[in-house]
Amino acid sequence: MKKLLSLVLAAVLLMSTMSFAVAEDETVTLVVWSFSDEIDGLIQKYFTPTHPNIKIEYQIYPNDGNQYTQKVDSMMAATPDAAEAPDVFALEAAYVKKYVDSDYTADLLDLGFTADDFASCIPAMLQIGQNEAGVQKGLAWQSTPGALMYRASLAEQYLGVTTPEEMQEKVADWDTFVETAEELKDASNGEVKMVICGGDIWNAYQYQRAEGWVVDGKLVIDDQLYDYLDMLKTMEEDDLTHKGSTWSETWYAGMRGELPTLCFFLPTWGLHYTLKPNCASGIADGMTEEEMKAQSDATGGTYGDWRMVAGPVGYSWGGTWVGANAAKVKTADETKLAAMKELIRVLTLDEDTLYKIAVDSGDFVSSNAVVEKVLNDDIDDANPFLGGQAHYQIFAEAANLANGAIMSRYDETINSLFDTQCVTPYTKGEKDLDTAIADFKAAVKTQFSDLVVE
Amino acid sequence: MQKAPATAQASPKKKRKGVSYDHYGYLFVAPFFIVFLVFQLYPIFFTFRTAFTDAIGWEKILDNNLIGWDNFKLFFDPSSNLFVSYWRAFGNTIVIWLFNFVPQISMALILASWFTSGQMRLRGQGAFKMLIFMPNIITATTIAILFFSLFSYPIAPVNTLLQQFGLLNLPFEFFRSTAASRGIISFIQWWMWYGNTMIIMIAGIMGINPALFEAGLVDGCSSRQIFWKITLPLIKPILLYNLVTSLVGGLTMFDIPQLMTQGNPNNTTDTVARFIYSQGFTGSHNFNYASAASIILFGIIVVCSFLLSQAMKDRDKGAKKK
Repeated sequence: MKKLLSLVLAAVLLMSTMSFAVAEDETVTLVVWSFSDEIDGLIQKYFTPTHPNIKIEYQIYPNDGNQYTQKVDSMMAATPDAAEAPDVFALEAAYVKKYVDSDYTADLLDLGFTADDFASCIPAMLQIGQNEAGVQKGLAWQSTPGALMYRASLAEQYLGVTTPEEMQEKVADWDTFVETAEELKDASNGEVKMVICGGDIWNAYQYQRAEGWVVDGKLVIDDQLYDYLDMLKTMEEDDLTHKGSTWSETWYAGMRGELPTLCFFLPTWGLHYTLKPNCASGIADGMTEEEMKAQSDATGGTYGDWRMVAGPVGYSWGGTWVGANAAKVKTADETKLAAMKELIRVLTLDEDTLYKIAVDSGDFVSSNAVVEKVLNDDIDDANPFLGGQAHYQIFAEAANLANGAIMSRYDETINSLFDTQCVTPYTKGEKDLDTAIADFKAAVKTQFSDLVVE
Repeated sequence: MQKAPATAQASPKKKRKGVSYDHYGYLFVAPFFIVFLVFQLYPIFFTFRTAFTDAIGWEKILDNNLIGWDNFKLFFDPSSNLFVSYWRAFGNTIVIWLFNFVPQISMALILASWFTSGQMRLRGQGAFKMLIFMPNIITATTIAILFFSLFSYPIAPVNTLLQQFGLLNLPFEFFRSTAASRGIISFIQWWMWYGNTMIIMIAGIMGINPALFEAGLVDGCSSRQIFWKITLPLIKPILLYNLVTSLVGGLTMFDIPQLMTQGNPNNTTDTVARFIYSQGFTGSHNFNYASAASIILFGIIVVCSFLLSQAMKDRDKGAKKK
């Protein structure tokens, strides 16, 4: 009997030490969903090495044909607390508002963040991550301020502009922007155009609005939009654009200089990943700056001819936010909650990580403190692509100008309806203004049965 | 059979010896039935139910209220936006389908009669049949993107070509012209499907008793007379089959208009399937309207198919009476 008792005791003791040992270096598993491998790269580089106890299960659902959003929607509608449902998920600019406005994303304060944690974030990026009531639900590590890129040679030849400061005066607001476009047309006999298309202008112009598309469940057509319609109509009728479209062959031909175009509205990523690789034909991945310049010179490209200015309005274009699954936050134990908070903190708020991201990849990050630190670092950021201009400084100034509060979950669909039902037919003279506006309203009403449209 | 239980009772051991494999059959067909029930039959019933609810948005997809025929009434109320968009899309669909179907069936008939003609004896038939059928193998997505880039504005292959041949002075904006946009979609549908129709037609013509053609030739028929008096009347069932399948395919046309024109310009290439998609999967997610619209489309297809087959049947009876 004694033997048995001691055996049992020994077993109990052994078990208790074992379970203690497990508690000591307990691994938490977090499920992360995204539409690309970008965040996975950041996690592996900046998070996993310092947090070996937090295991990340990374799932990618590319958003071709809205596959990612549909996957998230159906998962969240049916079983948001299932093991395979995401704890933390990525939200792209096109649909971040849809999710922060829904009950699917958690209030970040529930994760243990405090409002002070967000103090140094760039306002536009914070605002876009808030729901209608101003609750912070998503955070970004990048900031994507936009600027106006222009061809220095064309500006000098036709407008007599030699410095970026002079150029900024030429595009200080939208009226001067159109005047400059007319001047350019006259000086070049209509050969050089101000922009490729109206769609390019829209990316910046939408930030001119005082209010977003929807206020208190009602469709709002901001007064600025009527000015926009007038402006685009003038530009179309006076032949001030190349009448192409964004992301088309015409657009890239403009970047290569084959179709002489003065201005492009592009954000941080647009400079590095769109304009630069398309500044001449035959630019391949992995080319050094010298090789790109040589290729551009050999093929009559535009490398080194670009300069950038803030342009008529501060705007932001694109970006990725991360949010936490509200259902998981509700059911998570303390360890898991802490792990979720830690992942979001390291990716989006931690100044050391953000600084590393900025230095390693040249990305423009979402913290003003880090941006300042990068600017103060006596690094040589003269960009040869911009003829020696320092792009970080201009983006830093532009970043705090954009008003992110006008963004809403309706934007993606309503922007496209505004373009197809109103802007394009009106500016091309297919409809008069009243019909165009009425058709646009009818289309919004048909798609959004729960909105008030007057 | 009656004896079987008795023997089983008498010697239970005997039963074990005879192993029956019958029930394995059920296991083999089970995957199909499970997939069919979960992914086809259940969604059909689910759609029917959703059409009678107020399910707007993902939150209400499962948790909703039955509201009777209200959703359907909107589609027949000329003052509602849904009425306007739905029937406009329906009209577009019919126009695009007709401009694809008429050339498709004509071309398929001509090619089929050439390929089966005993007099012509075309060489390299296999190669031609394969080439003509080929567009059907390429996915619609690829074709939509290909044609979009071909006909883009202002710099694109077609515009450049037309300008170089001196047919155009300035580039033409194909996707802002209703006729051109619909024409391109109809052309793509025609180009993708005439090979398929042709193969079916050839099969139909080969099924005709050769003695009839020989008799016609002996009686001095011209090849035109053989086509109109012998071939055409005898492949009527095949024609009907083609008409019905093409109508169903045409009314549910989605991929090319969605990927290439997104309904532009001014909703003139918006099709019924595109309307259903945009109601259910964009905007407020009006699942109820999308479901009701699908059911109305389903009803129209059923009625059309029934009328067509009925028309054919009556003619057959009439022919027999003569």
